[in-house]
Amino acid sequence: MIFGSKTPSSKTTMLLCVVFFFALFADEVAAQKKFARTYPAGQNVRLSLTNRTGTVTVEGWNRQEISISASMEAPAATIVPQSLSGTIFVNVLKDNQGKDVGNVNFLIRVPYNAMVDIETRIGNLIVSNVRSGLVRAHISSEGDITLTNILAKNVSAENGIGDIFFDGEIQESGNYRFSSMKGNINLRIPFTSSFRFVATAPSTRSISLGAFANSETNYLGDGRRVIGKTGDGSATLTVTNQRGTIGFLRR
Amino acid sequence: MNCDECKGLISQFLDNELEETQAASIRTHLAMCGDCAIVCEDFASILDICTGESADELVPAHSKAMWCRINNIIENEIKAEQTVAPPPQKRFWQLSFGQLATALGCIAIVSSLATFVAIRSYFVPQTDDFTTRSAATQTTFEKVLSKVGLMETPQQARDRRHKEQQAAIEYWNARVQTRRIQWDRATREAFDRNLQVIDESVSEYTTILNQDPEDELSGEMLDTVLSDKMNLLRDFSDL
Repeated sequence: MIFGSKTPSSKTTMLLCVVFFFALFADEVAAQKKFARTYPAGQNVRLSLTNRTGTVTVEGWNRQEISISASMEAPAATIVPQSLSGTIFVNVLKDNQGKDVGNVNFLIRVPYNAMVDIETRIGNLIVSNVRSGLVRAHISSEGDITLTNILAKNVSAENGIGDIFFDGEIQESGNYRFSSMKGNINLRIPFTSSFRFVATAPSTRSISLGAFANSETNYLGDGRRVIGKTGDGSATLTVTNQRGTIGFLRR
Repeated sequence: MNCDECKGLISQFLDNELEETQAASIRTHLAMCGDCAIVCEDFASILDICTGESADELVPAHSKAMWCRINNIIENEIKAEQTVAPPPQKRFWQLSFGQLATALGCIAIVSSLATFVAIRSYFVPQTDDFTTRSAATQTTFEKVLSKVGLMETPQQARDRRHKEQQAAIEYWNARVQTRRIQWDRATREAFDRNLQVIDESVSEYTTILNQDPEDELSGEMLDTVLSDKMNLLRDFSDL
């Protein structure tokens, strides 16, 4: 009797669970808002993107157009890119006027020669296959920066807590700046590169020059800073990691 | 009695110091000799003048005191002259004209060289902002100006900059505090973690600089992390 009365109740519960699961799944699917747009690009195109939270991936490709696709957690989030004087502006903060729109994850494809200037408050930044005059990646707080196959004359990567990885070439008379509060900075560059460098890791004093150590390397401030030169030293490389390590790798 | 004998005895004659016989002889000669009579009259006139005035008229009252005052005045004047213009001391060195000319030439060359070095040092190209420069990279001219207080030292410049940064940090922090309530939990935690890391670095460099104010690297790093803190607060004040 007792069992007989329980059976219909269990079935009802199971049914309700199934209905609730599908309802939840359907809601989740509806919440993932997508954005996709393509813009024609000139020779000196520039991408300027400001995100709030989320991952931004920028890839160079062999087309003279910029393709922007984004997935947004919050359905209310809006993205309104603007094309002005050869620059594509995407500003999630401005477009949503300070509203919390959750994670917005971008996948952007740009011509190889496009200048890339991206920043976010929280999240990872990934840039690859870019050969232009500028690559700038800035994270206000937490997130990793990964720059691979970069051939740019001016490169800047800054974050708070997180790793920075650069894999690219050092251009003649170029300017390269990498800065982190806490994390690991690793630079993978050709052995034949010519640059002057200042690497500073005040807390850990962990600065590994690897194959780039030579007779022109000087350790300053009890090993907190290393300065030196390779080749003719035409480019400038500045690396600062307040509470992390710095490593130079041979490409 | 002749004239010479008469003139020799005239003074005594007028003073009635001669015997009567000699006096009679003189009277006889004076009666006959006009020249000696004139001399005798002259002597007599002088004698009359001297005997006619009293002693009081010839000797001033309190003459002794007066002579003391005069003596004092003369002595004081001599002392004053000695004080105002002491006698020139004899130099222990002496230069000829040639030596003096050589010395002046040397002074001119040395001062020219000093001026050249100072100007050359002053115009050395400076790529860094003065606030981020160290005492080691200061030029000699800048060091001299810093010593005399005409230019601030790198430490003073650093302190001034840190005060400005602290003021900016307080401003942005106030804005962040008003916005923070609207953040989600993940954002708040990420912000706090980053702020904590920055504050740890600020504390570390401040401690080092308190122990060794000359540690330029720590001064530079403190400047950097304060800028990072300001940027973090500014970026999150938009959220």
